[in-house]
Amino acid sequence: MRIDRMGGLTGAVALAALMVGAAPALAQQQSPVLDAMVESGELPAVGERLPSNPLVVEGDSVGKYGGTWRMGLNGGGDNGLIVKTVAYEGLVRYDHEWKTVLPNLAESWEASDDATEYTFTLRDGVKWSDGTPYTTEDIAFTVEMYQDPDYAANSWIDNQNNPMTLTVIDDLNFKFTFEKPNGMFLETLASTDGIHITSLQKAYCSQFHPTYNENADADATSAGFDGWALYLQDRCAWGWETIRFSNADLPTIYGWVIETPLSANAQRVTWTRNPYFWKTDAEGNQLPYIDNLDMRVSQGGVEELTLAALNGEIDFQERHIATNVSKPLFFDGQEAGGYHLGEVIPSASNTLVLQLNLNHLDPVKNELFNSKDFRVGISHAIDRQEIIDVVFTGQGEPFQVAPRPESQFYDEELAKQYTEFDPDLAAQHFEAAGLTERNGDGIYLLSDGTPAKITVDVISALRPEWIDMLEIMQLQLEAFGIDLELNNIDRTLFYEKRPAGEFDAQIWAGDGGIEALQEPRYYFPFSDESVWAYRWAQWFNGTRPEIAEEPADWAKEQMDLYNQVRAEADPEKRADLFNQVLAITKEQFPVIGVSLMPNSYSIVRNNLKNVPDTMFNAWLFPTPAPMDPVVWYFE
Amino acid sequence: MIGFIIRRLIAMLLTLVAVSIVAFAIIQLPPGDYLTSYIAQLASTGDQVDPRVIENLRRQYGLGEPFYVQYWKWITGIVQGDFGHSFEWKRPVWELIWGRLGNSVLVEGMAVVVMWLIALPIGIYAAVRKYSLGDYLATVAGFIGLAIPNFFFALILMYLAYIWFGTTMGGLFSPEFENARWSLPRIWDFLSHAWAPILVLATAGTAELIRILRANLLDELKKPYVVTARAKGLPEWKVILKYPVRLALNPLVSTIGWLLPALVSGSVIVSVVLNLPTAGPMLLRSLTTQDMYLAGAIILLLSVLTVVGTVISDILLALIDPRIRYGGK
Repeated sequence: MRIDRMGGLTGAVALAALMVGAAPALAQQQSPVLDAMVESGELPAVGERLPSNPLVVEGDSVGKYGGTWRMGLNGGGDNGLIVKTVAYEGLVRYDHEWKTVLPNLAESWEASDDATEYTFTLRDGVKWSDGTPYTTEDIAFTVEMYQDPDYAANSWIDNQNNPMTLTVIDDLNFKFTFEKPNGMFLETLASTDGIHITSLQKAYCSQFHPTYNENADADATSAGFDGWALYLQDRCAWGWETIRFSNADLPTIYGWVIETPLSANAQRVTWTRNPYFWKTDAEGNQLPYIDNLDMRVSQGGVEELTLAALNGEIDFQERHIATNVSKPLFFDGQEAGGYHLGEVIPSASNTLVLQLNLNHLDPVKNELFNSKDFRVGISHAIDRQEIIDVVFTGQGEPFQVAPRPESQFYDEELAKQYTEFDPDLAAQHFEAAGLTERNGDGIYLLSDGTPAKITVDVISALRPEWIDMLEIMQLQLEAFGIDLELNNIDRTLFYEKRPAGEFDAQIWAGDGGIEALQEPRYYFPFSDESVWAYRWAQWFNGTRPEIAEEPADWAKEQMDLYNQVRAEADPEKRADLFNQVLAITKEQFPVIGVSLMPNSYSIVRNNLKNVPDTMFNAWLFPTPAPMDPVVWYFE
Repeated sequence: MIGFIIRRLIAMLLTLVAVSIVAFAIIQLPPGDYLTSYIAQLASTGDQVDPRVIENLRRQYGLGEPFYVQYWKWITGIVQGDFGHSFEWKRPVWELIWGRLGNSVLVEGMAVVVMWLIALPIGIYAAVRKYSLGDYLATVAGFIGLAIPNFFFALILMYLAYIWFGTTMGGLFSPEFENARWSLPRIWDFLSHAWAPILVLATAGTAELIRILRANLLDELKKPYVVTARAKGLPEWKVILKYPVRLALNPLVSTIGWLLPALVSGSVIVSVVLNLPTAGPMLLRSLTTQDMYLAGAIILLLSVLTVVGTVISDILLALIDPRIRYGGK
């Protein structure tokens, strides 16, 4: 930077001098903190630690080693932040734009035409953080553990709906075979779900399993556990399980390894660089650049983290602290805190999804909620602009639950239909839905003579603005003869109510705005999170057959189409099929949205370099990890 | 007196058994169990949980058993010193809570001491100089302390510390002292962090103490024995401190038992806001995740504190108030 400000000949001379001076530094291939260990023979030379063909990660600039990245965990159980920062290392990964699947641990792969067979080749010479080679043996062991009924992990590896078998070809090559076609398998592998398969090391974890250690049960008992399965879970928790990060002995393939583990009493969780990490920058320097991670653990409140960020004690963070309410505060504090705000595009399409229960057990409400006219009427009765102005200081626009403008599936008609505030249209649709009589308070009467009251379950602890929005909607809808009752409950109860089927409506955010294809919960009855048609979703998944209900024909058609999507390996044909699913969604209008989720922001210290200005954020695209924090560095 | 204490201890044990049953039942009351909340977490990250996996886990954790079986397992374990396993942390509960309870007792105990140190002199002053300017000032200050919600006071302190000193207040130790052994520098580090929560917690209770002490003392000050003592020429401070104050302390001493649990539960939000590793936030979290044995152990220990505290206050009462006699016929 200093060079830029000098001019003319002196500048050139200074530049030449600097280059000469910097030459040894450029030849640097590992962090200086490892030098002593290599010299003493404790650690092999960097060339021996790196694979023959390391994964090259390019940042905007070649960085320099050192420093500690400070951030904050919210409460003890915040494994999410760790996954999103450290643990996103699967066989493959996403590019920064969330479009293409790139090689990671696997160097290359091949898929069969019918999308049932996937053959992978591992990068040669990748090592675990303890220095032992990463091979197909570890993959085979992981599959074996996941498919062991006693080791209750839960993922695509042991998915009963589409069973998978593994064939090991040699040390580096292996093949997954699915019973049914799995066209989106690479997307699954590139998302957070992909880290399941890379989470267990055979050499370490096999010692807790009776197949490999006949004393496994006795060891578990003497360690204070009821059986080997619980002990194995404790020592070798899978994927992103919270306690996975509480065992510092567990070898990993992450850029950083645990130094102070996560525990119920940890006040900070710290990490140091993995000397065997298998990625380099464009010049062959081993990554990561940053030596240490320091995650302070708050006791569940974000106040301290917010102040710490304002005070320049957080180097990069988006999770927890980037709330709507704090945005002006962070904006004003940029200069004093030495940071700036980055742009974060959420994957959710909508701020609030009103999901009326189309599988209601009460026949009167069931009929009412299943009437499209009723849902359209409600949608027209909501003055969305008022909500946006009051709750979101004007950020966002009226929007239904639909793919976001950034998504390839964006469809303006789907996103905007029925969003205009129109009292006449609302009244017309209510009438078409059979609502004509009103009681003394002006509330419509249902066919059984009871007032039209909708009890809405909401967890305000999750998103405080939901209550603000609902209170406005309550007033707006009351004026049209619909009585909205807010039922603010705890998350556990919220989930318990779903199988019972006797709730009127539940509130959530609009997941699937960008990753519509992988997360179509609002577009058709896809998963347990399709609360609006919970019993139809059970029919689709076959998970809880005792409450499954045969879906309406249109939903069955969507399920059919989606099964074809799953079976299709060609992305273009897949998109075609999925657009047909969305067309039915547009026609049926199952759930009601309010407004487009406004962009969020991240706190980025000014001396932290190589941080992309804009990033997507989702659970399946675990920001910031896909943005390669291993090439971020402190200037 | 000894017979009284023995009878008191037996009653205490019976109370504890009853309390443990109630505590366990209350924790079991909310719909669902740890697995429901665990599945909720998984589902929110886009996972589908196979019902077979859930059944398996429920069996492993013994969650399907009837209430009395679970309770009996739990309480017999506790008698042998085993508080069970935390579902969330897969660790023995005792290992998790003992450090936290230590922090709680330390911080909250100091808050009690500070509260008394502030409230007693002010209360005495306010009674002796009734309706003076000082009385009014003390009253107003006390009521402000009572009226400001603890979490809000904590937030204000944090904000002021950030604005004035550019520091982020929170925690009980600086990073370098977190896991160190106790030493003079560590004690100093602790005090430089702990003053804020202690102040916040202490101010909340002072007004109440001041009012109780003032009212009681006012009653006593008019009594003939005070007039007599004064007439016999005792120095004024001795007149007041030796008899009326001792009697006026009665209601304070008799509520010692409630003090510790009230502080632990009252400090939950302060601990969350100020990021204190005390038992409060852990209790809160274990309740929301339905981590049954962890929550049960904390609640049970709080109950033990209450019951033990009540016994202590009974004994103290007998000591300070000569008018109280037990078992006399």
